Amino acid sequence: MDYQTWLYVGIAGGVLSIAVAIYLYFWVMRQEPGSERAQKVASWIRGGANTYLKRLYTALASLALILGIVIALIFSFNFETIGTTGIIIEPGSGAVMAACFVIGALCSAAAGYMGMRVAVEANVRTATAAQKSLQRAFRLSFYAGAVLGLAMVGLAVIGMSVIFLLTGDAHSVLGFSFGASTLALLAKAGGGIYTKTADIAADLVGKVEIGIPEDDPRNPAVVADNVGDNVGDVAGMGADIFDSYVASAVAVMLLGASFGAGMQYKYTVIPLILCTLGTFASLLGIQFVKVKEGGKPGTSLNRGTIITCVIFVAALLVLSLLNVIETGIFWSAAIGIVTGVIIGFTSDFFTNDQYKPVQETSRVSTSGSAVTIITGFSYGLISIVPSILGVVVATLISYYVAVGNGLPGIYGIGVAAVGMLSISGMIVSADAYGPIVDNARGIAEMAGMGQEVIERADVLDSAGNTAKAITKGFSISAAALTVLALFAAYAEVVKANGLDINISLREPIVIAGVLLGALTPPLFSALLMLSVTHNAFDMIEEIRRQFHEKPGILAGTEDPDYDRCVGLAAHGALSSLLLPAFLAVGLPLIVGFVLGPNALGGFLGGAIFTGVIFALLMANAGGLWDNAKKYIETGKFGGPGSEAHKAAVVGDTVGDPFKDTAGPSLNTLITVMSLVSSLFAPIIAVFHLF
Amino acid sequence: MESHFYLSLLPEALIVSMLNPEEFGTYYAVGSSKKSRGQAMFFEVDPGYRHEYFHIDEALKRCVPHEDGRPKSSIYVSVYRVLEHIDPDALLDLHLTTQDGRTLALKASKTLPENESGLHLYQEIVPVTPLVVSRLDPLSFFDLIVKNPTSLISVPAIAFAELQLGELANDPEMGMLNNLPYSNPDHLRQCLSDVKTKFVSTKMVDRTHSPVIPYRTIKNGFFVGNSEKLRYYPMPSAETLRSENYRWFRSASM
Repeated sequence: MDYQTWLYVGIAGGVLSIAVAIYLYFWVMRQEPGSERAQKVASWIRGGANTYLKRLYTALASLALILGIVIALIFSFNFETIGTTGIIIEPGSGAVMAACFVIGALCSAAAGYMGMRVAVEANVRTATAAQKSLQRAFRLSFYAGAVLGLAMVGLAVIGMSVIFLLTGDAHSVLGFSFGASTLALLAKAGGGIYTKTADIAADLVGKVEIGIPEDDPRNPAVVADNVGDNVGDVAGMGADIFDSYVASAVAVMLLGASFGAGMQYKYTVIPLILCTLGTFASLLGIQFVKVKEGGKPGTSLNRGTIITCVIFVAALLVLSLLNVIETGIFWSAAIGIVTGVIIGFTSDFFTNDQYKPVQETSRVSTSGSAVTIITGFSYGLISIVPSILGVVVATLISYYVAVGNGLPGIYGIGVAAVGMLSISGMIVSADAYGPIVDNARGIAEMAGMGQEVIERADVLDSAGNTAKAITKGFSISAAALTVLALFAAYAEVVKANGLDINISLREPIVIAGVLLGALTPPLFSALLMLSVTHNAFDMIEEIRRQFHEKPGILAGTEDPDYDRCVGLAAHGALSSLLLPAFLAVGLPLIVGFVLGPNALGGFLGGAIFTGVIFALLMANAGGLWDNAKKYIETGKFGGPGSEAHKAAVVGDTVGDPFKDTAGPSLNTLITVMSLVSSLFAPIIAVFHLF
Repeated sequence: MESHFYLSLLPEALIVSMLNPEEFGTYYAVGSSKKSRGQAMFFEVDPGYRHEYFHIDEALKRCVPHEDGRPKSSIYVSVYRVLEHIDPDALLDLHLTTQDGRTLALKASKTLPENESGLHLYQEIVPVTPLVVSRLDPLSFFDLIVKNPTSLISVPAIAFAELQLGELANDPEMGMLNNLPYSNPDHLRQCLSDVKTKFVSTKMVDRTHSPVIPYRTIKNGFFVGNSEKLRYYPMPSAETLRSENYRWFRSASM
C-alpha cells in the first residue's frame, strides 16, 4: 500500500469515527429523558448553554472572518529576499491558506458544538438512568462523552488528510491547525472564565453567605454554574485537545516536508497514519469501558485507556514489521504514548485523596487558610517534577531512537507527541464524561430525585474528577512535546526561506526574546484570573440583589432569575477575551517583525518553558486544593463547618481559576503562539527590523 | 386562619404566628424584608396553654392577617424568662430549622437515653449558653443544674443538648476528633482531661458559646425541663435523617 492510499484509509477511519459518534448521539437521544421537573431543569441548562454558544460562535465567526481575510491578503504573495536588499514578490496561495484556516476553525467549532449538544441532552438522561442502575447511567454518560471524542478525532483526521491530499502542501495543513487553535484558545479561555465566574459566585453567596447547599435550585447562579461545566469542560476541552491533536500532527508534517526530495511525502504522511491508527484503537477501546452494578467507574475508564494504548502499540508494531514505518518511529510513538499515560496517572497522585499531598494539605488546614495555600502551592510545584521528567525522558529517548534509525532526532520528538495524542478519541471520551455526570448530579439534586440517585451520581462524579485530572496532565505534557516539535518546525520554515536561524543565549536579541516569551504565560494567566474575579464580583452583586429584593426565593415561594446570571457570565467571559487573544496572536508577530526571527525563536522557547511549568502547577495545585476540601467533607479533621473546612474552602476558591481557567488555557496559548510563528515565518524571514 | 404558639430558643421568646411550623421555620431562618436570618430552634406550644406571666390573649387579638390577606408571621408575646414560665407538658414537637430554612420536627420521647460510659459535652441553650464538659450523664447533669445544685449556680428551667465527643469521650488526650468541627480542640481536650482526672464533675469550656449548633454534632438529642419535669427529644441517627429527610440532612450537613 503506497502512502497516498494511507490518506484514504485515514479519511475512511475519520468517516467511521464520525458515523459511530452520530450513531451514539441518536442512541443517547433515544434514552428516557425523565420526569417533567427534570426536563425543565435540563432545559434551563440547555438554554443557557445555547445562549453562550450562540454569542461565542458569533464572536468567533467575526474573528475568523477578519483573520481569514488578513491571511488571504498576506499569503497572496510569496516574498523572497535576494542578497541584502532585494525582495522578489510572487503570487501566493492566500485563498487556499485562508480557506484552510476557516475550515480548521469550523472543524474545531463543530467538535465543541457536537460535544455540547450531546452533553446537555445526556445530563438529564444520565440522571434518569441513575434511578434504575449505576450501570445504565455510566454507559449512557460515557457513550455521550464518546460522541465528542470520536467526532473530534474524526473531523481532525478527515480535515488534515483531505487538505493534504488536495494541496500536497504541509503548510496548508498548518493553516488548518492555526484556525483550529485560534478558536480553541478562545473557546477554552472563554469557557474557563465563564465556568469559574459562575462557580465562585454561586459558592460564595449561596454556600458561604446564605448557607444553601451545592446545586440548590434557590441559588440564582445554579444554572449558570451547570452551564459552565459544559462550556468549560466539554466545548472548551474538546476544542483544546482538537487543537493539540492537530498541532502535533502538523508539526511532524512540517518536519517531514523539510526532508530531501523522495522522502518528503512518506514522512509528511506518517503522522496522519499514526492518527488513523489511534482513531481505530479508540473505536475498539471504547467497547471495553463497561461497569457492573456496584463496580468502580474510575477503574473501568482507566481500563479503557490502557486497552486503547495496547491496541495502538500493537497496531504500530504490525506496521513496523510490515516496514510501513521504521523501528525508530515505532519506538518514538510508543514511548510517547506510554509516557503520556504515566504522566496522566502521576498527576492523579497529586490530586487524589488516597495519597499524601491531598491528605497533608487537609491536615494542615486545621491551622488556617494561609498554611493551606502554602502547602497546596508547594505540592503543585513538586508535581511539575514527574511530568517534566517524563517529557525529558520521552524527548531524549524519541530523539535518539530516531537518530539511531537515520531520522532527524527532532522528528522523533514530534512523533512521540503524535503518539501521545493519537488516542485522544478515548481520552476525550473519558474527559467529557466528567461534566455530563456532574450535571446529572446537579439535575438530580434540583429535580428532587432522591438520595439513591444522588449517591449513584456521586459515584459517577468521583470517577469523572479523576479522569479530568489524568486528562489535564496528559494534555499539558502532550502540548509540551508538541510545541517542542513546532519550535523545530518554525526553525525549519525560517531556514527554508533562506535565513540561517541562530537561537543562542549569547545573543542579546535572543535573550530579549526569551524574556518576553517567558513573561507571556504568567501575564496571560493573570489576565484570565482577573477576568474571573472581576466577573464573579459582578455576579455576586447580582445574586445578592436577587436575594435582597425577592425574599421569596429563599423561602421557596418565588423563582430566581437564572437568565440574568447566565447572561452576566456569558457577557463577562466574551468581553474578557480581547487582550488574551492579542497576547497569543499579536505578540509573537510583533516580536518577529520588530526583533526578528532569532528573537522570535527565543520568544517561543521562553514561552514554552514558563507555559508548561505554569500549566502543570496550576492544574495540579488547583485539583489538590479542591480534593483537600472534599477530603475534609468526608469527615476528616472536623468535617464540614470546621476551621479546617473553612481554610480548605479558601484554598479551593483560589484553586478554581488555577485549574479550570488559566492552567488548561496555557497549553493552547503556547500552541497558538508556535503555530502563528511558523505560519508567518516566511514573511518574518523577509520583513524584520533587527 | 389558625394561630400557633411557638417557644423560640434562639432567641428565647414566646411568639404567636399564623404560620404552620414549617412556614414559621422558613420565615424565622431566612427572614423577610427585615433580613433577620439564621438557624432556628423552637417548640410548638399547646394553643390552650395560658400563664399569667404572658399576655397571650392580647397577642392573639393582634394576630390577624395583613390587609392583603397574607397571614401574620409573628407577634412576640415575651422575650424574657420565657422557658421558666412554661409547663414542659405544654411543649409539643421541637422544630429544628437550618440556616437556609429547612425544618425538621422532633417528637418527645417517654424514655431517656441509655447511660453510656465516658465523658459528656453539653451545649446549654436557654436561659444561658455555656459549653460544658461533664462526667455526669444528661439526667444527672440536669439534676445538678436545676433540681439539686451543689453550688450557688442553678437555673429554674433549662434547655440543653448533648453533643458528640467521639473518641474524646473515653480518650481525651489521644482520641481522634474526626468529623467534629469544634474550635480550639486543644482547650476542649484539656477540659475533658480535667473532669476525668480531677475532683470536679463539670467544667466550663466556653462561658458564652454560640448556641447555634451544627445539628450533625448532636449526640442523643435535646433536653428541656424545670424542677418538676424533664422532657427528652431524641435526635434521629444520621442514616435515618439521610434516608427520610434528605433535604434537611443536606442543609444541616453544610
